[in-house]
Amino acid sequence: MRPSARLLGLEVPSSRTLYVCSSCRQEARPRPILARQFLRNASTSSGSTPLTEKVRRKLWGTENPPGMKDPYGGPGALEKKLRGNQNVQEEGAGEIVEAAEPAEVAEAVGREDADYVPATSWEGIEKIGHLGGWENYPATQSDEYSPFMLKQKLTKREHIYLAAHQTAVELCLLHALKKPLASIYNVVEHDKSVFKMIWKCKIQPGANGQWEGVVYPNKQTEAALVYIFEQIGGQPEGAVAEAAGETEQAEAEAEASAEELDEGAYVSETSGLPFFGYQDVRDKGFLSLALNDPAVKFAFLKRFSQLSGHFPDPIIHPTSNVKEVVDLILKSFNPKPTKLADQLFNKASLQSRSNVKIFAKKQRSSDRDEEMGRKKVIEAELRARGLIA
Amino acid sequence: MKRLQLQRWSSSVLSPRVRTGSSRLQHHLYTGPRYQSTVSPVPQVENEPLMHEQSPVSPIPSPNPQKSKYTLPSPPVEAARESAKLAALHARLYLPSRLPLETLARSLVDASAEPNSNFNNASLATLGHDLLTYYTSEHLICTYPRLPMAVVFAAMYAYVGPKTLAAMTKEWGVEHAATPGGEVDPGFLQFKRIDPGTEIREGQVNGSTRPNDQRRWRVSMSSRVVYDNEFGEPVQDPTKADGQSTPLPQGVTAEQASSNFVRAVMGSIYLHAGRPAAKRFFEQHFLSRHLSITELFDFSQPARDLSRLCARESFEPPVAKIISETGRKSRHPVFVVGIYSGEDKLGEGAGASLLEARSRAAVSALKGWYMYSPLNVRVPSSMEEESAAPWKPVYVDLGEVIV
Repeated sequence: MRPSARLLGLEVPSSRTLYVCSSCRQEARPRPILARQFLRNASTSSGSTPLTEKVRRKLWGTENPPGMKDPYGGPGALEKKLRGNQNVQEEGAGEIVEAAEPAEVAEAVGREDADYVPATSWEGIEKIGHLGGWENYPATQSDEYSPFMLKQKLTKREHIYLAAHQTAVELCLLHALKKPLASIYNVVEHDKSVFKMIWKCKIQPGANGQWEGVVYPNKQTEAALVYIFEQIGGQPEGAVAEAAGETEQAEAEAEASAEELDEGAYVSETSGLPFFGYQDVRDKGFLSLALNDPAVKFAFLKRFSQLSGHFPDPIIHPTSNVKEVVDLILKSFNPKPTKLADQLFNKASLQSRSNVKIFAKKQRSSDRDEEMGRKKVIEAELRARGLIA
Repeated sequence: MKRLQLQRWSSSVLSPRVRTGSSRLQHHLYTGPRYQSTVSPVPQVENEPLMHEQSPVSPIPSPNPQKSKYTLPSPPVEAARESAKLAALHARLYLPSRLPLETLARSLVDASAEPNSNFNNASLATLGHDLLTYYTSEHLICTYPRLPMAVVFAAMYAYVGPKTLAAMTKEWGVEHAATPGGEVDPGFLQFKRIDPGTEIREGQVNGSTRPNDQRRWRVSMSSRVVYDNEFGEPVQDPTKADGQSTPLPQGVTAEQASSNFVRAVMGSIYLHAGRPAAKRFFEQHFLSRHLSITELFDFSQPARDLSRLCARESFEPPVAKIISETGRKSRHPVFVVGIYSGEDKLGEGAGASLLEARSRAAVSALKGWYMYSPLNVRVPSSMEEESAAPWKPVYVDLGEVIV
């Protein structure tokens, strides 16, 4: 409703005798089109006060409402441009101090060199950011990502056992050496000789499945493994020196493994074969190791997932020993029958029933037609009319 | 009478291919070419490699190649084991387990669909029809020995007539295939349908087996007993039919095909499971159907018939007497009239007029006479069982009153 009509309505609120129809109201107050257009916008009609200010005043109910003068982020770009050059320079310098390259920008903005020539094209100017062509730029160092877990999950039953065994031996060793268990995560993969030593170790868990009782195949292996894992666990120099004097072989292996440790993410040359082609664990004593301690459980699962690629997320809580974890992961290996028809066909209760017929495909109306002998008639008729080949 | 060796007999009646029994191991014996009279036989050599080419990806056995099936006029014998419908029908009818699914499948193939008599149900239907009419007629005659012949014919038609058998097929849940063929599920009733627009003359025959048929003589009830079929209908003489207008592959109505199917089931039960099973099936599926025989009577002059009956049986002539009445002068009077023969009241009837009441009383008297049923009825076929009691002759009546 136009303002004039509104006013008219207010003057004669509900008297029937003074009723004026809407067209007559419009006729009664003819105004120039220009004036009407101006009056249409309420903001223009009320002088210099902007609309936001008016709304704020209305909301607060006072002439001077509290809060920011302009809640929408200050003057616009055009407004800034219209202001004087000096002001712009001062403001720009102040803002860019917080930006990524404050020195350069400030230098550029505040440059008063006489030989400064503004650029006319983009050529030769330093690029910042990208305009949608991000994928065309080569990868930088920060773009690279190496996952913590294996890129490809282990799919063989024996490999899962190997991973669990390796994890158990490593954690047992660290436990026995009283090293922080988290230090093992830095070793993504051992050297082949180290792995062979770990592989040869057996575990005889305690009465309640305590993490102790690594049975070494011989003294040399024990010494070498202790040396290596003290290295891994961050042993002081003296102990390393003591351990280093044991055997030549152990020393060589220790050096090799120490080099690996330095690299952090060591990628094996024989990465084609998981676990260097070892097929199965030598004994399964590690399966009864308990996972009651949350810290041990976390360490085991983390290392195990690092080695195997499997992280049994939903079953972390109820598991109480290594065997349960391994079994639950192995259970997920069993491929389910993908199709419902296959599942039904393998159901023993249905196999014995002769009045149940299981189709491999969905039965459509054409199948029904064929079953009733109607299809050949339909097809013959369609062929006779030239509708199908 | 020595008991027949049914299994031996059935081997001579049934085609050897159908008698595969439940042994799936014997299937390779029956995969020989199937020679049809109308269709050229499919060389089995073509089928063999196709069957072996079935990829073993899915454990579900995919059906045989459709191409070879399309050439057959009716489903192959080995398809009976794959059909769920057939197994369901077998279980639904509570058929004996000795009746194999293959025979049930064969009983679903009408002669119009499959001209080869080794694979259609014509022979089974003939046997089943004879059994059904025999059992029904002996049941009717022994149970109601005084029934008039017209009523016997009507009762026969009601028990084992084609309309009843077609209704039973529907009740059994047997569906009709649209067209017969090798690819059709064997659980469907397969027959060649009559072309649309063909005139169906039900109950009429072109030339019957009666002598002097062309003279249109009056057909008496006695001549119907002699010349006509078990329903008192004229029998089509195959030599007299005008064969020039009806070539051989002729369709049948759904009613005919359905009745042939039920008869074939009866025949196959008899062949495979023996006489006791067939009699049990007959009692459970045919005699168990309720039929009110008293409603089959139709008297034109009951009072006259009753007086003739009394004269024949040397009773005193019947006399109608008013037993009670009400509202003789009113708009709706009711008279209760009894018919007496001497001191014995033969029947009683109520009517709006004296004549109506009298004829109703006469009808009830006649029905009382005709519907006599002896106690402990034994039928002749019960003597076929082992260690049956000695036969006592059943009551045989003089017959109906001929006016």
